[in-house]
Amino acid sequence: MSKIDGTVIKETKYITVWVIILSVIMEAVFLIIGMWDYKVLLGNIWGAGIAVLNFLLMGITVQKAVMKDEKDAATTMKFSQTMRNAMLLIGAVLGIVLPFFNGAAAIIPFFFPRIAIAFIPLRERNASKREVKNDGE
Amino acid sequence: MLELAIGIILGSCALGAGIAMIAGIGPGIGEGNAVAKACEAIGRQPESKGNVTTTMLMGCAVAETTGLYALVIAILLIFVAPGRLVNILMETIG
Repeated sequence: MSKIDGTVIKETKYITVWVIILSVIMEAVFLIIGMWDYKVLLGNIWGAGIAVLNFLLMGITVQKAVMKDEKDAATTMKFSQTMRNAMLLIGAVLGIVLPFFNGAAAIIPFFFPRIAIAFIPLRERNASKREVKNDGE
Repeated sequence: MLELAIGIILGSCALGAGIAMIAGIGPGIGEGNAVAKACEAIGRQPESKGNVTTTMLMGCAVAETTGLYALVIAILLIFVAPGRLVNILMETIG
């Protein structure tokens, strides 16, 4: 098995942290509106796990694809996307069909990585501020 | 007549779900093109591999969201919409 690239691990960690933060917020919202039960928690764990796994698999595919030539890279990425989409479909269907998962709580975490990406400019800004501060010292 | 109406509802929901999933083709093509161009960029400047990979990873994740929206709409059309629409039909008929 080939080693996972440092960039992929770093970005997956970033996404995981945000998925956990957003999951806690979602649980709080369910609690506030009085719809919280163990099914929400299990559905949330299921959905969040699949979302992070999807991102990690995408990262591994990207890491492998950049080593190939252009045509092979495009084909690899298309194939990976189809397989990951199938995985998401199965995950979402199981999240809705299985009685011990709350359907909404299982599907909503799929969108958390996209929200996490929206906060990247914030991270970049903090990093550049830190660099300026270090340069000043 | 009622059976026909329910059949039309179920058929339309299935058809709608299928049409929604056409949107799943786009992200695959988009990601493929992005990675192909990234390969080209890394080939030209191998030292920028880390930056290119990070940017591309995030770009791919954004592109994939479109497919996710389609997936969720298709799932809702298959699992949620038929029940609701049949209930509305039943209530209308009385």
